[in-house]
Amino acid sequence: MKKAKIIDFGINLLMIVLAFIWIYPYLWLLLSSFKPVDEIFTRFLPTRITFEHYKFIFVTSERLERPFVRALFNSVFISVSVTTLVILTSCLIGYALSRIDFKGARITSSFILFQMLFPGFMFLIPLFVLMRTLGLLDSYMAVIFPSAMSAWGIFMFSQSFKTIPQDYIDAAKIDGANRLWVIFRVLLPLSRTTASIVGLFTFIGIWDNFLWPLMVIKNPNRMPLAVLLAVFNHQYAGYIGPVLAGAVLQTIPMLIIFWILRDYFIKGIAFTLK
Amino acid sequence: MPKTLKRKELRFGLEMIGIYLGYTAIFWGYPFLWMLVLTFSRWNFVGKIRFVGLENFQRIFFDSTFWRIFLNTLNFLAYLIPMTLVTSLLYALALGKVRYLRSFVVFGFLVANVSSGVAYSIMFSNLFASNGPVNRIVYALFGTTIPWFSHPQLAVFSICLMITWKFVGYYGLIIYAGLQAIPQSVIEAAKIEGADNKTIFTRIVLPLLNPSLVTVSILVTTLTFGIFTEPYMITGGGPMQRTLTPLIYMYDTAFRRINPSYATVVALVTALISFGLVMLIRRLFEKEVSFE
Repeated sequence: MKKAKIIDFGINLLMIVLAFIWIYPYLWLLLSSFKPVDEIFTRFLPTRITFEHYKFIFVTSERLERPFVRALFNSVFISVSVTTLVILTSCLIGYALSRIDFKGARITSSFILFQMLFPGFMFLIPLFVLMRTLGLLDSYMAVIFPSAMSAWGIFMFSQSFKTIPQDYIDAAKIDGANRLWVIFRVLLPLSRTTASIVGLFTFIGIWDNFLWPLMVIKNPNRMPLAVLLAVFNHQYAGYIGPVLAGAVLQTIPMLIIFWILRDYFIKGIAFTLK
Repeated sequence: MPKTLKRKELRFGLEMIGIYLGYTAIFWGYPFLWMLVLTFSRWNFVGKIRFVGLENFQRIFFDSTFWRIFLNTLNFLAYLIPMTLVTSLLYALALGKVRYLRSFVVFGFLVANVSSGVAYSIMFSNLFASNGPVNRIVYALFGTTIPWFSHPQLAVFSICLMITWKFVGYYGLIIYAGLQAIPQSVIEAAKIEGADNKTIFTRIVLPLLNPSLVTVSILVTTLTFGIFTEPYMITGGGPMQRTLTPLIYMYDTAFRRINPSYATVVALVTALISFGLVMLIRRLFEKEVSFE
């Protein structure tokens, strides 16, 4: 029994060490963005802290037509818009599919499941052609529109709304609540977990989306951060410091969202099993 | 419910479904039709679309680059499936023993999963650079350096290493949830019958973990067919085309060689192969599991 306990403790210790190794790349990235150039590859801890790399991407790169500040705001704008739209539309359509009993709802529900079978990359080129026809290339709309509704989001919300007892809705209606009030003030707060999971994965997915904005946006002033950073890295790979500072900039917002919603992330993993 | 209220609800339902179907018709149905048109024609984004029948499909059959990419994908899978399955299984088993600093361990691994594709490619390409920090440690220990991204086979392996780093914390929790679902009574019963730990693991735990192991395999398979950012950022498809992936080929064909029709065929055939492989995994490995 005692031997087993020592082994368990050893495993515990090993896992803590491994967790450090897993975080090491992030730590290295963060520290390196503050190191003088000659210390990036040679030292883990800097001898002195410098802000020159951040100064480069925030000030100098502006003149090289690589506006990082602008790109950061583009990314925030695009990700927040898409996340808001997805939650809004998923709520409304999820309500229609789960709480109103009619034939159209059942057919649409199975169609949504069918849609989820197709991988997104199949439609990239035809979708590009559509954006070109609509004259939306190089605009925010080209990135926002194709993601504004999500079959997965609707599916998640309608699953969640199904489990809420009708009494809650009836009680709200007796108090004089209209339908939108019921959806956004009664059902949505009761589906906090689902909303957080859909919001988190949508935000991260859009923030991290690379191939699609690379295809539809060529104007540096409209680029989301991921694309601008990739273009910058291709042109100025020698400027390791600024490139790493850009990577930090691209990573931090995702980590913040993850940190706020971390418990829901874990609940979301349990959902994938079903 | 009064009749007028019911009718109002029904109207609202129809409106919502109308909005959804309208949106889907534009952003899913229309591209779907365009996909079919493109696969049977030749076009260069401008000018007239010329119908060519099955020519694109004949071409892909004899396209040596496409088959190189197909082999590359199998190459990626040959590393990724065992690497992710074994590491996340070990992670899940070990997590059961972790009592101290448990959330540090869970979030330490999970935080890798929220890394952005572009940012983590930059991070690892510098960490594993020929004179980067990792090679400095390797040199200090073994007196040699490792060509992480410049050797054909190692480049594939290094990218798989990055993907494993990213996904262990996530897949590990999926398998951990599967482990938790195994009732303790089954294991206790086996112990009373005199089964040793090894027998319990291979005969009871592993078979009962089947659903989560199959889930992870399918997730990894679909992910592998969609690899784009890592090779695009780090290797550009090289060395010797070994890290060329279907999506890089699709992108290059459409926008460098200005051949959207053939690019669409590449995407379609890739999707079909991916779908077929997922079906095959299901057919071969998926077992009905019940805890009675």
